Parts: sequence; C-alpha cells; structure tokens
Amino acid sequence: MFGKTKQERRDEKAEMQSANKRKFKLTVGDVVFNIINYSVFGLFTLLCIFPFYYIFINTISDNQMVSRGLINFFPEGLHINNYIAILQLREVGNAIVVTFGRAVLGTAVMVVASSFIAYLMTKDVMWGKKFWYRFTIITMYFNAGLIPWFLTMMMLGLTNTFMAYIIPGLVAPFNIILVKTYIESIPAELEESAHIDGAGLMTIYWKIIWPLSKPILATIAIFGAVSHWNSFVDSLILMNNAPELHTLQHRLYVYLNRSSNLAAMMQSGGGATTASAALAGVTNVRVINYTISMVTVLPILVVYPWMQRYFVKGIMLGAVKG
Amino acid sequence: MKESLASRGIYIFLRLVIVLSAAMMFFPAINPARLTERINRNMSLFTSAVAYNSLISELGREINRGWVNETNFVILFISSLILCIGIGLTCVCGCLSVGNIKCKKRGNFFGLIGGATQALGLTGILISYLNMNNNSSDFERLSPMFPSGYFLFCGIAAVVFISSLIQIFLLRKEEKEAVFEIEAKYRTFLMFLPFAALLFVFSYLPLWGWRAAFVEYTAGMPMTMDDFVGFKWFTFLFNDPGTQRDIVRVLQNTLAMSALGLSTSWVAMAFAIFLVEIRNGPFRRFVQTLSTVPNFISWVMVYAIAFAIFSTDGFINSFLSTIGALDGAGRNYLMGDNLIWLKMLGWGMWKGLGWSAIIYIAAIAGIDQQLYEAATVDGAGRFQKMWHITLPGLMSTFFVLLLLSIAGILNNGMEQYLVFENASNTQRITVLDLYIYQRGIEKGLISISTMIGMLKSLISVTLLFAANKASKWIRGESII
Repeated sequence: MFGKTKQERRDEKAEMQSANKRKFKLTVGDVVFNIINYSVFGLFTLLCIFPFYYIFINTISDNQMVSRGLINFFPEGLHINNYIAILQLREVGNAIVVTFGRAVLGTAVMVVASSFIAYLMTKDVMWGKKFWYRFTIITMYFNAGLIPWFLTMMMLGLTNTFMAYIIPGLVAPFNIILVKTYIESIPAELEESAHIDGAGLMTIYWKIIWPLSKPILATIAIFGAVSHWNSFVDSLILMNNAPELHTLQHRLYVYLNRSSNLAAMMQSGGGATTASAALAGVTNVRVINYTISMVTVLPILVVYPWMQRYFVKGIMLGAVKG
Repeated sequence: MKESLASRGIYIFLRLVIVLSAAMMFFPAINPARLTERINRNMSLFTSAVAYNSLISELGREINRGWVNETNFVILFISSLILCIGIGLTCVCGCLSVGNIKCKKRGNFFGLIGGATQALGLTGILISYLNMNNNSSDFERLSPMFPSGYFLFCGIAAVVFISSLIQIFLLRKEEKEAVFEIEAKYRTFLMFLPFAALLFVFSYLPLWGWRAAFVEYTAGMPMTMDDFVGFKWFTFLFNDPGTQRDIVRVLQNTLAMSALGLSTSWVAMAFAIFLVEIRNGPFRRFVQTLSTVPNFISWVMVYAIAFAIFSTDGFINSFLSTIGALDGAGRNYLMGDNLIWLKMLGWGMWKGLGWSAIIYIAAIAGIDQQLYEAATVDGAGRFQKMWHITLPGLMSTFFVLLLLSIAGILNNGMEQYLVFENASNTQRITVLDLYIYQRGIEKGLISISTMIGMLKSLISVTLLFAANKASKWIRGESII
C-alpha cells in the first residue's frame, strides 16, 4: 500500500467509484420492487400500531365526541379525567397493585432460582446430574393438562392465594436452558482460580457467575415480567373466590365482557357507590374499556423500546438450544 | 473410612422414609388432621398446618353456636404445624446423612429431635380429638372421624426416632474430622433438592390427577377407588352421541386452525427475506421494532383492540359513518362465525408475524456474504439470490419450527379462542384446549375433561417424539 504511486491510487479510486455506480444503479424493476416492498412493510407496521394510537386518542378526547364516534384520527378536547376516574376505581387500583406485585416478586424469585439451578446444572460433579437435568427439561414438553393442574393447585391449598402466582413459576425450564448455555460460555478458568483461592460453591455463584451472566439474566427477567404482566388464565381459574387478587388482564376481560352491565349500573347510579361516584364524569362504556385497555398496555408500550434489544437477544439465544 | 454395612443400610431406609413422609404431607387422603368430615376433603396436612382459615372454613356455624369449642381447632392447627416442622427437621437429618461423620452425628441429633417433634404434634392432634369428643355438647353433628393416616404418621415418627437412635451407636467415633463436610457430589445435589421438590409438586404431581379420568368424580369429594369406573369415560367419548358430535366438531376446529397456521408458517420467512431487502437502516429498524410490539401484549388486550376497531361503534363503523358510507346501524364484525377460522388466523398473524420473523432475520445474518458476492459476479438478480441463496439458508430453521408446530397440532392454546368466543361463534371457534376448559372448569365435568386432556397430552407427546425421530432421520439432528 505504501509502495503505490499517486497515479495508481487515483486509478484505484476511479475504479471503485465506477464499481459503486454500477452497484447502486437502479433498474426500473428495482424501483418498482422497492416501492412495493416499502409500502407493504409500511402498511403492516401501521396496522400494528394504529390500534394503540386509536384507543389512546379516544381516551384523552372529549367524551361526548367519542360517544358520537367522531374521533377517528386526531384527538380533540384533550383531558385526562378518564384516567383519574379509572385509577380511582378500587377494583382497578387493586388489580394494578396485584399485577405489579406479582410481576416484581415473581420475576425476582424466578431469576434467582433459574440462574442458580442453571449454575448447578453446569456442575458435572452433581449426583445424578444428567437425570435431574432431564427431569427439569422434560416438563417443558409434557404436562398433565389443565384440569389435573387445577386439582393439584386446589389440593395444595393454593387457590385464592397470592402465592399461586409466584411459586409454580419459580422453576422455569426454558430460562434454565438459556442461562446454562450462557454460563457454559464463561471461561472456566475464572471459576477455577476462584476455587483455588478457596471460594466455595455459593461464593463463586454470587461473586462470579451472577455478575458475569447479567445480560442473560436481564433478558429472562424481562420475558418473565412481561408474561407475569400479561397473565390471565391462572387468575381466571384459580382466583374464583378472591376477586381482590384478580390481575389487570382478568379485570379487563371482565370489563369487556360485561361492558353493557357496567353501563346499566352507572346509568342507574346505584349499585357500587364508589364506582358510580368515581365515574360520574365518564358516561361512556367504550371510554371505560379504552381507558382500562390503555392502563393495561401502557407499561409494556413504555418499556418496550428500551428493552427491545434484550427481547431480540432472548429469541436469538433461544434458537441455540441447550 | 466407610461406615459399616448395617449403618449404610439403615441410612438408605431412613432417607426413603423421610422422603415418603415429606411427600405424604401433600396427600389429602392421608391427612392425619382431618378429625371431622366437615374439614374439607381436599386439605392435606400441609394445608391444614398453614391455612387455619381453610381448616375451619366449613365449621363456622358449629363454632358460632358453641357445638364445638374453637380452642380444639386451634390446638389441631398448631399440632399440624408442629408435625410439619418435625418432618422438616427429619429432612435436615436426611440431608446431613450424606456428609462426613461429624455431619452424620449432627444429623442423628436432628433425627431424634424431629421424631420427637412429630410425636408431639401427633399427641396434640390426639388431644384435640379427645377433647372434642368429651367437651362438645353436640359433637356428633360434626360427624367425627378418626383419620386413617394418623397411624401411618405415628409409624414414621417411630421409625425415624429409632433409626436415629441406632445410628448413634453404629457410627464410628469421631476421628480428626473437626469440620462439617459433605462431598461436592452430594452438596450440589442437596442444593438442587428443593427445586426438584417444587418441580415434582407442580409438574409431576398433576399426573396423579389423571386418575380422575377413571373414577366417578364429584367436585369437592376426594377420589377413592370405590368410585373406580375403569374405562367408562373413554367409551363414553365414543358412545355418547352428544359428546361424540362435540368431539368431532372440536377436532375439526382444532385441526383446521392448526392446518391454516401450518400452511402459512412460511409467511414469517418471507417477511424476513423481504425485510432485509430494505436498505434504509432506520426504516428497517422502525418496521422491525413496531411489528414486534403486538407479540408482547396479552390476548385479552388483542381482544380489546378487536373490540375498539370492529365492534358496533368501533373504528370501522365510525369511520364509515364519517365518510357517509354507512347506512343504518353499524355491523359488529366480532359476532357470527363467518370465516372465523381465517379471522383467528389473521389475529394470530397480526400478533406473531413480526416476532416469528426475528429468528429468520438472525439466520439470514448468519449466511455467508461471499455467496451473495459470487452470485452477483455471476449475474444473478435480486430474486435469483433470494431463491437460490437466502431460501436454502433458512430451510433448516424453517424445518425445525415446522416439525415443532406439527407436533403441537393439538395445542392451539385456549386464551385466544376464549377471549374471542361468544354465543354466535362458539360452534366454530371452540378448540380442544378451550373445550377442556369449558367442560372441566365452567361446567365442572372433571372426569370427562381429564380424560380428554389426558388423551391430548399422550397424543401430543407421541407426535413430538415422532417429529424428533423424523428430524434425526432427515437431518441427523434432534430438535428437543
């Protein structure tokens, strides 16, 4: 490279430019293809986000206009009274606390338990390791079914208790595979040197494995939190006699199903006095549904853009099976 | 350094007994604390010891009227708790028994204490029982019973106590082992043990619930072998005309929707192939980010969106009326079973397409760039490169996912169909999972729905193994 003359370099440059031109010269076919490609993807993306936008503008627009169906593309008469009214509903406030609580607590114990199990599963010295690993992983592919699961939960006295949200999800086989694969990629020398320095199993786990596997732990934590936030079936099946433990999704489902009943209740002004007082300003069932939907989905929409790389990393790692 | 044969033999026996006793805490049929028939039949010893409210949930009237003194139940509750603590202590004994001599000695100590504690708890239960018999004016109204599991627990307490006592004499004198030590082999295993127990309880114990498929089950009653009906429910599935019609219809829906999903599984791959053709980086990232958002919302939320867009006064109708294209009242597009399978497919794709594409995008990134360069030199066009390089590069990923979805052909999940179901489309939308839910949970027909669920699980797992075999045969690699 240093031996090249100015002339040679100039020639090279010219050649590269012409090559680039050749590469970037668009034919008519390319242009047509690009137009179609861009518009199809643009349209699909619009399809994915417009509903959220539509619901959102309907919750912050003038309720009279919403009920007449006039808010289609742009909000009008901005106000946040709907949100204030909804958050004052005791049921909804309760559901938010329960859902948030299970998301935080459930995710925390799941991450600690799964990463610790994954660490143990990298130890070949463990008695019957192969058997116990299979014992753990096979539960991912095979389960007894909904009814036996329900009967078991009933037998254990976990129905209508908050712990039913936390304990069954503690050992998550798929996450164990992810973390195990990750830990195996950490150089074994680190662990060995700590061992030589006299660190025990637990010390190595807390001081070396835990900090080094933080990226994958963040990934499983986010997946765990999202699935806790979105959980619905366990609340529906297990919490029959404990309405104060219903999750937000369950609450939304009930509202959507009974929206007509709610309207009747509020128009009569009787029934649950707290509800009717709080919702005095909100007379439209649609608006109530929209607002609860927005409250339900907003945390995910807000968190999502920041967490996206973790999500993507998760599925990439998931493709590499353990 | 090995212990004597007798000592080792007794330890193996002791550990087995301890594991058994720990498991027995969770079986309602042998609950030693069930002193009257008014205590729920589904209460296990463990539940009795941690949930006082459930223990007396069906006894409120009796206690309020003074038929029975509540103190008895408090004693019963505390005794159950003590019994459970005793079992916990013997578990510590079992764990320590795999260590060195010093550990074993301490373990025996725990064994003695644990056995004694269990005996204390069992005595408490007996006192509670006798007290109730003597002091309650109308005790007969509680239909008292002496729990069958009581003697079993007595036996276990005695065995643990005696074996621990024997071990104290059998063990060698302490040599120069000053520290507690358990071999790494067993230490790691003991650390895993609590999680193994959890897995057992939540993933393997439900298999025990399959026996509901072979008995005449009434909700709230325990399953006993008196109600054993053999394969009655199995034949019922095929002989009862109503159920048979249901099953045929539900299987039709399930298979149709799975088949639709399978036949469109290439769409995600196409999505990825065309997405990477977009050279504008920010726009590509924009599409990729926003098209994956729907994957992270729940099906309930998807239904809320469907409601906002397609219901009588949703977006479609209000937009049509704004531009004056709507005459009369709006239509509720969520009602009716017209094209419901396709609609469900559409919602599934709306939710999952962007996300399923990510795995293919990753696979495309892994394809060797030199292949494309060579093809360009040879004069291949855009579509030729897609067809001859990208597509073959994605085939193995596609194949694995396809096999997995074939294996899961009966598992559509129930959430999507549950939220979209209504009276006008229930005939065409009910899939197997939803049918089991409707039958078992909503209608309380436990036995028949357990039978259906069991058959479904067995068929699914067979399909999975078949798919795995097929994969090994075709690609030389397993998928699970």
